[in-house]
Amino acid sequence: MLKTDVIIIGGGATGCGIARDLTLRGVHHYLVEKKDFASGATGACHGLLHSGGRYVVNDPEAAKECIEENMILRRIAQKCVEKTGGLFVRLPGDSRKYQDSFLKSCETVGIETEILSPARALDLVPNLNPSIEEAVKVPDCSIDPFRLCMLNAFTSRHRGGGVLIHHKVIEIIKEKGRCVGVKVQDRFTSKIKEIRAQIIINASGAWGNKMAELSGSHVPMTLSKGSLIISNHRLTNMVINRLRPPSDGDIIVPNEAVCLAGTTSVPAEDPDAIDVEAREVDIIASEAEAMIPDFGSTRLIRAYTGVRPLLQAGSGDGRSISRGFQIIDHENGMFSILGGKLTTYRLMAEKMVDRIMEVFNLNVPCRTAEVELEGQEVLSGYPLSKRLKNMDEIVCECELVSKEDVINAINSIGTQYIGDIQHRTRLGMGPCQGGFCTYRALGLMQELGRYTPDEAMQILREFLQRRFRGIRPALWGDQLKEEQLVESIYHGILNLEQQQ
Amino acid sequence: MNRADYDVVVIGGGISGLMASLHLVQQGLKTALISRGDPICCLSTGCIDVYAGTRKPLKGLKGLPKEHPYNIVGEGGIKDALEFFIDIMDKTGLPYEGTTKKNRQILTPVGTYKTTCLVPGTMSHASPENDEYIHVISFKGIKDFYPSYITSKLKNTGYSVFDAHAVSTMAIASKFEEEAFLQEFISWLQDLFIPHGRVAIPAVLGISNPLDVIEKIKAAIDREVFEIPTLPPSIPGIRLYKTLKSTLLKKGGHLYWGRPISSVESQGGQVEAVTIQTSGRPTRVHGRSFILATGSFVSGGIYATRDSVKEMVFDLPVYVPGPRDDWFNPDFFDTGHAIETAGILTDQSFKAIESDYDNLFVCGSILAYCQIMKNHCGHGLAISTGVAAAEKCEEYLS
Repeated sequence: MLKTDVIIIGGGATGCGIARDLTLRGVHHYLVEKKDFASGATGACHGLLHSGGRYVVNDPEAAKECIEENMILRRIAQKCVEKTGGLFVRLPGDSRKYQDSFLKSCETVGIETEILSPARALDLVPNLNPSIEEAVKVPDCSIDPFRLCMLNAFTSRHRGGGVLIHHKVIEIIKEKGRCVGVKVQDRFTSKIKEIRAQIIINASGAWGNKMAELSGSHVPMTLSKGSLIISNHRLTNMVINRLRPPSDGDIIVPNEAVCLAGTTSVPAEDPDAIDVEAREVDIIASEAEAMIPDFGSTRLIRAYTGVRPLLQAGSGDGRSISRGFQIIDHENGMFSILGGKLTTYRLMAEKMVDRIMEVFNLNVPCRTAEVELEGQEVLSGYPLSKRLKNMDEIVCECELVSKEDVINAINSIGTQYIGDIQHRTRLGMGPCQGGFCTYRALGLMQELGRYTPDEAMQILREFLQRRFRGIRPALWGDQLKEEQLVESIYHGILNLEQQQ
Repeated sequence: MNRADYDVVVIGGGISGLMASLHLVQQGLKTALISRGDPICCLSTGCIDVYAGTRKPLKGLKGLPKEHPYNIVGEGGIKDALEFFIDIMDKTGLPYEGTTKKNRQILTPVGTYKTTCLVPGTMSHASPENDEYIHVISFKGIKDFYPSYITSKLKNTGYSVFDAHAVSTMAIASKFEEEAFLQEFISWLQDLFIPHGRVAIPAVLGISNPLDVIEKIKAAIDREVFEIPTLPPSIPGIRLYKTLKSTLLKKGGHLYWGRPISSVESQGGQVEAVTIQTSGRPTRVHGRSFILATGSFVSGGIYATRDSVKEMVFDLPVYVPGPRDDWFNPDFFDTGHAIETAGILTDQSFKAIESDYDNLFVCGSILAYCQIMKNHCGHGLAISTGVAAAEKCEEYLS
């Protein structure tokens, strides 16, 4: 049995942020996550560090939090943030009135704006639709949610906190009506561990209510599914937003060598049973094409979807609900933190930990806004110069990931699955989506003696299924062609479908 | 513009187009083969899959849907075509082994066994044989071969690693073309203690004369040696199309290799000519008849947009199995994806249904209802429909 002060359930941005905040305030804790870091909404979002512009008209309070946190994260998480800047573009037919209230609200909230003529906007982003009427420049950025979570967890891990990924909470232990601990099951070995603590924080996002129910409580949530697509090219160096009230497919974010476009907003019931529909892909692709015409002819490499854990509102669709967050004290030793968004994860963590400090009667101020994330040099990502140093050793040709990178990822704590290596190295994130390099990565893992053949085969099969789920909604054109090739490898050459 | 005239113009340099052309030149017809580039079969194992669902490949054909192209060729036609293929290969340095009477199994790079029908001579000994010891040879740093997949899965196996100072299968294969390299490899093998049994080597044993290489290794170490097909680009696939291509040249076929088609001319229900990009100026290739063997999506014969599928040379009508949502099953391992049935529907003489052209025949994986992944019928289908369509074309010309 493990003992600690606080257990955090959930390895998304909120959970990892809380772990770091607790570490900096000297409170011992364990973070448990059923999959890898950022496996829920954190990793299934745009990777957009909002300026607040998206919310500024309908939800100025959330917009204000965004711009403040945006400025903080630029400073403390330099290696996760790409200061791309963003444009809100007004296309023919979009309301001029909305632009006026947008600019007014930005001024009130404190979001710096600059109005650009179409010619000036096209200078900045040559692929923009040349018929735009006007553009407004805002301080949007692109952010890497995987690295952000890992860096937050890094601080915790290197200063005595416990971080257990691939450990699923199967029971919340209650004694005399109080939550006193959790039982977690190792996804890989199926072994069960018991952890005891004084406080449990439910930061499991879309799974929040499932987790609350384990302890006999309930949290009011509205789940809203949002889907995105990934293009094969980086068609813009700036974040592009549509200057109109929030709706489907109105944001394009550059990320490394690709672009992410989305989203949709569809009510969801179960976060474990969601899929992208072809219809959603078509909507997003068409909307993205309206802003950047090349989106119509570029190859889409994948679609993905996440569930926004929103605060429950009486009526209306997912978009009209506040992006604000809420902390619920279940008054039995468990807290739930709900709502919010990636951009404000640090603020959410700060408020959550403030409450815990009250419970423990401690008076240590939050320092996460001042102290830079530790470990940024180690986990600094993969600049091209680093990727090209030894071409013979490249395992993933699409993303130029070397054998050394893969082996380092395999040897890092907690990595068990192909997905873990992907999150840490970008392996398999390119056009073939791991069609070739997965076989190689698993070959390396076997050579390092990590798996029995059955385990390796199981992992490979799981990976191929998950991969297929992502690419299936975007299978036409060149991507369908590629898919026939990948099928010919796994079915034609390796005969995996017969190896049940 | 240059002009050239043929009895038959075959479009597509894959196995199906090559076999159709070989049949036609055999019949004394003046034949041209146009290919945009090296075919997709350089990504295959080089083995001839006929039908993997039953132990005897031809016995399973009854279970196929009535639209499946095998049903147009018929059992006798498939057998004859495969025998024609075996005959051709027998006269080259790359004979094939096996019979259409029964399937066989070969070792894959993940230690599983793949069902196939005819195999290149380099894989003669790749079938499972009573748990006999297998010694796997790998190459230092090779990217697409990990012997531990095999040795950890199969009992009674071991492996050794040779440093070829090259990491891609293509680079290692070209090294095996050099006698000095081969001798170095052989003397390294001789110094190893290899238990009694067989020796398995990834398929990199040279490109032009792999059987000679195997014979030399076998003679030096007194063990049976076989190749394991690797991930694309696969050397056995490259050897296969290169061998067919050079045989076709020898027999008088005319090749336009690496020549994309830029336009098509037709008149009165007949294709008259296709224009190809050649150096200097384009060439108009005239034919009395045409065979289309451009393959499925992966080869570029057909191309999917968000809501339709297009045939890329003649814009023939394409059978499409419903809306895009239905093209793929949710399960990756369920290989009966509806989209695999997409392609050209033909009548009994391999002419496209609802096509405008009376002198155009269609063969290979571009045909509707092939479902190659589901049936494991890739090269078998290519060979038999290639030969069968060529026969129909020949009938048409006489």
